[in-house]
Amino acid sequence: MSERALAEAVDLTRTYGGIRVLEEVSLSITPGITTVVGPNGSGKSTLLGVLAGAVEPTTGAVRYAHEGNADDGNDKRIGYLPQRVPFRDEFTARETLGFYAALVGDDPNAALADVGLADAGDKRVSTLSGGMRRLLGIAQATLGDPAVAVLDEPTSGLDPEMRERAFRAAAGRASDDTAVVVSSHDLDLVDTYADDVIVLDRGRVAVAGSRDRLIDDYGVDDVKGLYRAVVSDRASAESDIDTGDTDGDEGSKGADETTSESVHVTGVSDR
Amino acid sequence: MSRLLADIGTVFRRELVTVRRTPGYVVLAVGLLIVLGGLAAVGGGGGTGFVPAVVDFLLPTEILVPLLAIVLGYRALLTDTTSGEFAVIRTYPVSTVDYVLGVLLARIAALVAIVGVPFALVGLYVWLTAAPDTGIFATHSGVDSPLLFVRFLAFVLLFGTAYLSLSAAVSALASSRRSAIALGLLALLVGVLGGDLAILRSLSGGASPSEISGLLALTPNGAFRGLVFEHVIGVAFAPDGGFVQTGRAVGSLVSWILAGIVVAVTTLTYAAGVDVVVERTQERLGEY
Repeated sequence: MSERALAEAVDLTRTYGGIRVLEEVSLSITPGITTVVGPNGSGKSTLLGVLAGAVEPTTGAVRYAHEGNADDGNDKRIGYLPQRVPFRDEFTARETLGFYAALVGDDPNAALADVGLADAGDKRVSTLSGGMRRLLGIAQATLGDPAVAVLDEPTSGLDPEMRERAFRAAAGRASDDTAVVVSSHDLDLVDTYADDVIVLDRGRVAVAGSRDRLIDDYGVDDVKGLYRAVVSDRASAESDIDTGDTDGDEGSKGADETTSESVHVTGVSDR
Repeated sequence: MSRLLADIGTVFRRELVTVRRTPGYVVLAVGLLIVLGGLAAVGGGGGTGFVPAVVDFLLPTEILVPLLAIVLGYRALLTDTTSGEFAVIRTYPVSTVDYVLGVLLARIAALVAIVGVPFALVGLYVWLTAAPDTGIFATHSGVDSPLLFVRFLAFVLLFGTAYLSLSAAVSALASSRRSAIALGLLALLVGVLGGDLAILRSLSGGASPSEISGLLALTPNGAFRGLVFEHVIGVAFAPDGGFVQTGRAVGSLVSWILAGIVVAVTTLTYAAGVDVVVERTQERLGEY
């Protein structure tokens, strides 16, 4: 593992029913914001699930910088927000975070305030908007100051203002010793916030590295241009860009299809 | 150790809040109270004392308590796994054992309220209305006593906990609500009928009747029934007992509780690994 890496994936492959969703993926996660982009079905959610430990790879492994530390096992080292925010509807936002905060000795009120939900603490999860749920999810994932926070499409199904807010909240957690890994179809926000970019295509890493270096290398203006340049199925990539929202999440269907520039649903959900 | 207890307590409190906010459970408790009250009224237990009331309750208890325990437990662990929240919980420093124990203990507390309170209320009713003097706290056999009903209640809760633990195992094994219901009903059917049928089959197959008490204690229903006969009903009219070996019956119920916990923890811990082994096998087979 390189000196700066907080996590390193080596030859990750994941199959479902014999079909390869992720294929021999190797990459390093360094401090800062790492964004994972790619067409629907390219394996983003699977990769993030594997990084978070929620999905076991068929072959390969993820190594973390904290492994072997004396206090390993007593602290939360990885934060995870799945694509579908899973909290119990009957709990309030504060109760939800209170449960998780109690497991790591953190302050739920401070976490709510960090994502701008201080006034919504007493609202039940079932009454929160999709955006507020995702902000709650981001607050949960970053409780206990994990070295790596993995956020699967935190802007999915949100209006432009909420997308910006969610991305800003996620980016606010990245630091010199903390990595935030975010998957997103919103290439404008990715371009604004990403330190590193990973482009997945058909389960493989099409390209990965520093945003600035990749844009220079490919002679493009931004991440959208990079995406167009590297995704193998150009026609598909062209049709994916510039329309609307995301895949797989119930709350996102039909939302924002023309509100901002991002990657379009192709009808194939990430697994 | 304190960390372990703190984590179990945190999961316990969360689960208890969920149970408290499920109105259907109150309906279950009221329903059980109505059924028990009806049995006491129809059977005359309310007028005759604790032991006759327990005799009236025994068979319905063997069906209703497992049913309620399974209703309480069949989604206990499934909810978090299907919603994806268990994947989130696993990123926290709480072990699967702590998580399962926290959930199960909260459900046991709910069982005590939903099952224990109706039984206790009916017991109180019997105490207040029974014609014979049931106010004696018996220190010797042959006398009806509230202590006998307290024993019965303790056995009911132990029996219910065994089924609750098994239904927690079902909720870990199931992949959907529908499959959890199917597995829960299967567990209920096998538990309530299977044990007795197996004993009858072994007797018809040449097993000695003297082995019945030993075999009886192996199933949750048999162990519960044996304990009730040995320490509640039998006290009044068959002080020598011999219905079941107490240690064996209690050990059997505790073993069923532990078995449920072990299955639930093992399933939650290794299910993903099993899935991967299946995928690897499938991929290797595909290569040939």
